[in-house]
Amino acid sequence: FFNFTFQQQTTNTVEEPLDLIRLSLDERIYVKMRNDRELRGRLHAYDQHLNMILGDVEETVTTIEIDEETYEEIYKSTKRNIPMLFVRGDGVVLVAPPLRVG
Amino acid sequence: MEVSHSVKERTIAENSLVILLQGLHGQVTTVDLRDESTATGRITNVDAFMNVRLAEVTFTDRQGTVSHLDELFVTGRNVRYVHIPDEVDIRATIERQLQAIHRVRYFGGRDKGRKEFPRAKHK
Repeated sequence: FFNFTFQQQTTNTVEEPLDLIRLSLDERIYVKMRNDRELRGRLHAYDQHLNMILGDVEETVTTIEIDEETYEEIYKSTKRNIPMLFVRGDGVVLVAPPLRVG
Repeated sequence: MEVSHSVKERTIAENSLVILLQGLHGQVTTVDLRDESTATGRITNVDAFMNVRLAEVTFTDRQGTVSHLDELFVTGRNVRYVHIPDEVDIRATIERQLQAIHRVRYFGGRDKGRKEFPRAKHK
């Protein structure tokens, strides 16, 4: 059964990996996705497929451009903010607490 | 309330977050597709496999070309994100959908009709 922040938890112990995600309900999390995308947002709900509902999301898309002359790799990232987002689980690679920079 | 006519789909929907998307019937939302294109339109149907039907769609393809479509069907696999409108109450929407499924499931009463999940008979 899927879990969301408003519902009562069926068990309080951590038994399987998905339970670790349960611990992050209503917290801000970092989600790494396929195609060089990352999301940072508040986890409102998730299910066994890792479909998720995230609030106050910042999506970062990273692209690599190759300079024509020097052939060096230039990393560019594009960000956008979305107030409430449903994410399909098959795009999710990993879920973690927000990364601390520095 | 639109509930699927299929027992299999009802069970799948009841046990996953697709049920929230099903509760968005009639809402204007933006669906981001796997191939970076986006479709903004009114949701007319979402099934248990996340296949989405939209009406009055503004479709922006990968290159940025905008087109207008009366109807659009998106396969569940091709959905990346669905933007949820601000005014949607997520908890209430999910509860409403679950109640609709329960109404269909327990139609006719406790001892009447063919049961979806029959009780084990005691021997």
